[in-house]
Amino acid sequence: MKRYTKITPEGTKDFLFAECSAMDDVCGKVEKVFRTRGFKKVITPAIEFYDVFALPCSGIMQEAMFKTVDNKGRLLVVRPDSTLPIARMVSSRLKNSLLPVRLYYKQAVYRNNPTLTGRSNENMQMGVELLGVKGIRADLEILTTAVDSLAAVADDFRIELGHAEVFDALSENLDIDEAYKEKIRVSIEGKNYSALNNLLDKLEPSNAVSAIRSLPSLFGGEEIFEKALKICEGTKAVSALEYLHKIYTSLTVLGLGEKIIVDLGLVQRNDYYTGIVFSGYVSGIGDAVLSGGRYDELLGEFDLPMGAAGFAVDTDAVTMLRLSDNNISYSDNPEVLVFAHDGCEMEAITEVAELNMNGIKAQFSVLPTLEETKKFASERGIAQVKEVKKV
Amino acid sequence: MKPIRIALTKGRLEKTTVELLEKIGYNCDEIKNKGRRLILSVGDGKFEVVLAKAADVITYVEHGVCDLGVVGKDTILENGTSFYELLDLGFGKCRFALATKKGHDFYSGYNTKTIATKYPNVTRAFFDDKNMDVRIIKIEGSVELAPLVGLSDGIVDIVETGSTLKANGLEVIEWVTDISARLIANTASLKLRKKEIEELQRKLEAVTQ
Repeated sequence: MKRYTKITPEGTKDFLFAECSAMDDVCGKVEKVFRTRGFKKVITPAIEFYDVFALPCSGIMQEAMFKTVDNKGRLLVVRPDSTLPIARMVSSRLKNSLLPVRLYYKQAVYRNNPTLTGRSNENMQMGVELLGVKGIRADLEILTTAVDSLAAVADDFRIELGHAEVFDALSENLDIDEAYKEKIRVSIEGKNYSALNNLLDKLEPSNAVSAIRSLPSLFGGEEIFEKALKICEGTKAVSALEYLHKIYTSLTVLGLGEKIIVDLGLVQRNDYYTGIVFSGYVSGIGDAVLSGGRYDELLGEFDLPMGAAGFAVDTDAVTMLRLSDNNISYSDNPEVLVFAHDGCEMEAITEVAELNMNGIKAQFSVLPTLEETKKFASERGIAQVKEVKKV
Repeated sequence: MKPIRIALTKGRLEKTTVELLEKIGYNCDEIKNKGRRLILSVGDGKFEVVLAKAADVITYVEHGVCDLGVVGKDTILENGTSFYELLDLGFGKCRFALATKKGHDFYSGYNTKTIATKYPNVTRAFFDDKNMDVRIIKIEGSVELAPLVGLSDGIVDIVETGSTLKANGLEVIEWVTDISARLIANTASLKLRKKEIEELQRKLEAVTQ
């Protein structure tokens, strides 16, 4: 039998030294934003009952979840997402809490991805959830927190903004079944114009149909609203568009200009999101590094209906980006290695503490001779060896 | 600004794509005289082209190391997951079809059917839609051989003219889907480099319609 004693499972990896420093740095910066905004930290278990994630709206495919059973034969999964466990927790432990509740988390999520695609199965995520309040103030709070979080770790980023109700309102009166509607949604999500046209050509022409046809191309700046309102005139999508416009106008105060994009083709997880939806992109990473939105229906699934919005940041992706940036150094080499001559060990350790207190990175040499210490310092690239001896 | 990097499917699609790029005014001399180089500059350095096998085009675009890609719908259906499919380029047209030995009634009988194919995911999705359990065997070379030697009841494969099928006594019993070359884009790239990508998309659209 082959023994796998020296490798990690596919999709996982060890983090060493600079990778850890970079991750701590990224997480620290994001955490500071969360804490400043008054979000409080929670940790949920790494394993949960399968039922928590099996909700129809969760959008997590069962084949993507790592499963096991407990000693009673009940199905468990290794957490593939943090929002659903938090919804579970809020609906029980925080049932009588004063609202709103502001929570944040920093924990890995696990997905069983197809092999050989280069995707990680273990991903560190940080996110916030703002629970118990609906409306524009809560949405602005979540969005500006998302902007601050990205700005804290990346210079060149974009936040794209959409609204789940635009597609919902346009598609609700079409004479189609759920499966057909899902096909339409998927082709909008993938900006797959030809597939979308094929699907819509089979339907009775109407305002709603032609509006849906143009959804994937409706992305850009403020000019999108005028276009979209004209296209969606007379449909129920208008109020969602007006709401989104109000949000967009409010955000212009931040002076982010083209960093905020409106994308009415943002229809991912449409059973889950009920209001604003948004994603964050960073130059150098091919996938969204932040995603979130308003999900007012979810807590109802846990018998505690209330408004909720939040987002998650893929801190692993940001960490890798910062590690590849030559302008950022995550070297943890000490500047001074302190060697103690026999009998002076405690003095040397005190000396190290003093140096560090004065802002000089120092380390106590645990090698037995000065020669070995000097050799180690030169090989490791430590500039200075300081000796401590009896006077 | 970094050039926009486009992954092109080597071979048949490459030639037509180059013609299209030239038609919209981009200089493609480097691709035509590429020698052994793998990354080629196009149109005054605004674009960069890499040549890759079809499935790899998708991989490069999905990971964002290439911003755009030109690849057949067949490859997208078989391998694709998350990227934007911006444009049907209208060339490289063919179709996926289910074929069997001429005169063979594929759907008769209660036995579970066996299908040989180079495209197991396309085949699985096609029969899933029919709520039909089938046994799928992946074949790397000439799929037409499988039903002839008795390995499978039918095949799912790309059919262009149908002459290979005909020559081997096979016939199409159902069309699965139409195929043509597509312009795909990485999701982040489309957001971060919207203007440049949209400009190229518009120009290509104008010459393919």
